[in-house]
Amino acid sequence: MLTMEEKHKDSPLISAVQKYFTALPSTSLTSWLGQLRQKSLTNFLKLGVPTIKNEDWKYTNLSSLATINFKPIAQENFSHHNDVKRLIKKEEITLVFVNGQIEESFSNLGTLPKGLSLLSLKKAFFDRQGDIANLLAKYEGNFEPAFVSLNRALAHEGAFIQIADNTRIEKVIHIIHATQTLEPALTIPASYIFLGKSAEATVLETHVGYTDSVYLAAPLTEVLLEQNAVLHYCKAQSESLKAYHVGNTRVWQERDSHFDGFALMNGGEITRNDLDIISNGEGTSSTMNGFYGVNGKQFVDNHSSMDHRSPHCTSNQLYKGILNGASNASFNGKIFVRQIAQKTNSYQLNKNLVLGIDCKVNTKPQLEIFADDVKCTHGATIGQLNEDEIFYLQSRGISKKTAVKLLAHGFVEDIITKIHNPSIQDKLNILLEPTFAALE
Amino acid sequence: MIEIHNLHAGIEGTPILRGINLTINTGEVHAIMGPNGSGKSTLSKIISGHPQYEVTEGEIIYEVNFKKINLLDLSPEERAREGIFLAFQYPVEIPGVNTAVFLRAAFNEICKHQGVPEMDPLDFDEYIRSKMKTLDMDEKYISRAVNVDFSGGEKKRNEIMQMAVLNPRFAVLDETDSGLDIDSMRIVADGVNKLRNKNNAILVITHYQRLLNYIVPDFVHILQDGKIVKSAGKELALAVEEKGYDWLKEGK
Repeated sequence: MLTMEEKHKDSPLISAVQKYFTALPSTSLTSWLGQLRQKSLTNFLKLGVPTIKNEDWKYTNLSSLATINFKPIAQENFSHHNDVKRLIKKEEITLVFVNGQIEESFSNLGTLPKGLSLLSLKKAFFDRQGDIANLLAKYEGNFEPAFVSLNRALAHEGAFIQIADNTRIEKVIHIIHATQTLEPALTIPASYIFLGKSAEATVLETHVGYTDSVYLAAPLTEVLLEQNAVLHYCKAQSESLKAYHVGNTRVWQERDSHFDGFALMNGGEITRNDLDIISNGEGTSSTMNGFYGVNGKQFVDNHSSMDHRSPHCTSNQLYKGILNGASNASFNGKIFVRQIAQKTNSYQLNKNLVLGIDCKVNTKPQLEIFADDVKCTHGATIGQLNEDEIFYLQSRGISKKTAVKLLAHGFVEDIITKIHNPSIQDKLNILLEPTFAALE
Repeated sequence: MIEIHNLHAGIEGTPILRGINLTINTGEVHAIMGPNGSGKSTLSKIISGHPQYEVTEGEIIYEVNFKKINLLDLSPEERAREGIFLAFQYPVEIPGVNTAVFLRAAFNEICKHQGVPEMDPLDFDEYIRSKMKTLDMDEKYISRAVNVDFSGGEKKRNEIMQMAVLNPRFAVLDETDSGLDIDSMRIVADGVNKLRNKNNAILVITHYQRLLNYIVPDFVHILQDGKIVKSAGKELALAVEEKGYDWLKEGK
């Protein structure tokens, strides 16, 4: 039998991955990092790019990736500095990467609040190796998905964030990855976020791309929340409309910690976003909200997995989406409640507003419950705007067209306003401009 | 101002209204009472233009600016812009749509249609707050989504607040008193009474005579099986409160 490696040996993507790997800043092969990269590359080549035959990838068809001739990413092409600037607030802590490299002029790492370490991953791979290695060790023995391995093999830049015990960072920590390329390229950033005991922080990760650049973004964010920590986290993805975004966010929660997460997905031609949360202690709570807005031939697939491994934990999930044109969306929400995880309270809802005539939605709740004293509810809706709501607005003098626009805006606003931080809401509203324009 | 002639209507082929005739002049308040299923709410929805109902016969002539128009020829929004208002029996919750934004959009549409200048957000804010005050509504509702997380009573007050803001010529109040405690009902009734004047008209649809002690009608009509079976002064409401509707059935 042919292994994936042999089958895909000639695929331009695989040869690009190997070229990117060879071009990495040199690391001793026997070092921790060298071994991690080598092991991850081997795993990725063994697994290959998932196909639609794989149940978990049934709706995300990445076969077109294999035909793209990816080149090394170039620095000089970037011209959208003003668009990036719109997303930056001086009083916040910002770290900007343009085509994978730190853009010092946009970043302000100068004077950081006490208790916050924020450094480039390039540096952290050496200075904070122990923290990263300890976190990765928690997943030892688990199945590692192909794109997580791809990221571990190739990521050499990104953000390392650490909040000391009992420290609350008020300012938003904003990590921006901006991409613009003339030729197809790979962008593989990683973030490691560590919150100590009873620490609290707000982190926004923004992925933006411009001018119909063709690229594959495969970011990975690893989060560790120690006991009683609180993280408000948002991932906003507004890649170029010709880009592939295959991202993973993995969250490890210790006792009494709270993960308050939001995902905005409205860019990219093909988007696949995975969020995996492991609740590893009693009393954790996890919020997984999200919004996707797609148009034209865009495709977006949100996968989440909530693994309840301890009793007395709560998880809440609301994902909403608007589909226009001939776009497709998929939602898959896994919730595992292990036998020990009694008194789990879990809620999941996916709501889709279909405005285009040629759209398709696949929504799939996937609950696997082994405990007998739990409360788990889930639901999904796919539909058009509510006739009664339209009539109500019309009866006040508002035209049907304006009513439709107001209601579709309201559908988005309703979930954006659930985000804890108003500044993040503002930024998402900027990224949502194309979605709102599609409603005009 | 309004003349309803021989109105027949139904929903999905089921007839509900079977020949309604009703004339309402400016400055008048009419009340319609009747048992459940008699067609009261259907009448209100048809006046405001709900697309689900189908009119099979008849017309609703509305006199505006010395012109007579058939309301049935207008879309719901055109009716609203001509001064028709419906206070809903079940006000609709609209998540994500801010009350002030929505009402200002509605108000300005009506201004535009009637050829008066639109109001800017600041002036409108002051205007809406003054109307909320008369209805004893907490100002926090101004920035909330329309009717979302409102109690039953707050939703009904919000309807009358919208009526106060939009200042219609002809308003239909569809069971605005149902489910209200006596204090809330008084506030709502006071709000309506303040809006009563010689240039407008109000049609009150209700189950309960109680409301009519506060909003005193000039005429009371009893609707049964899709027809008005009796019309008289306000004393008719007391009679049905006491005796029920059976004595009014056709043929008795």
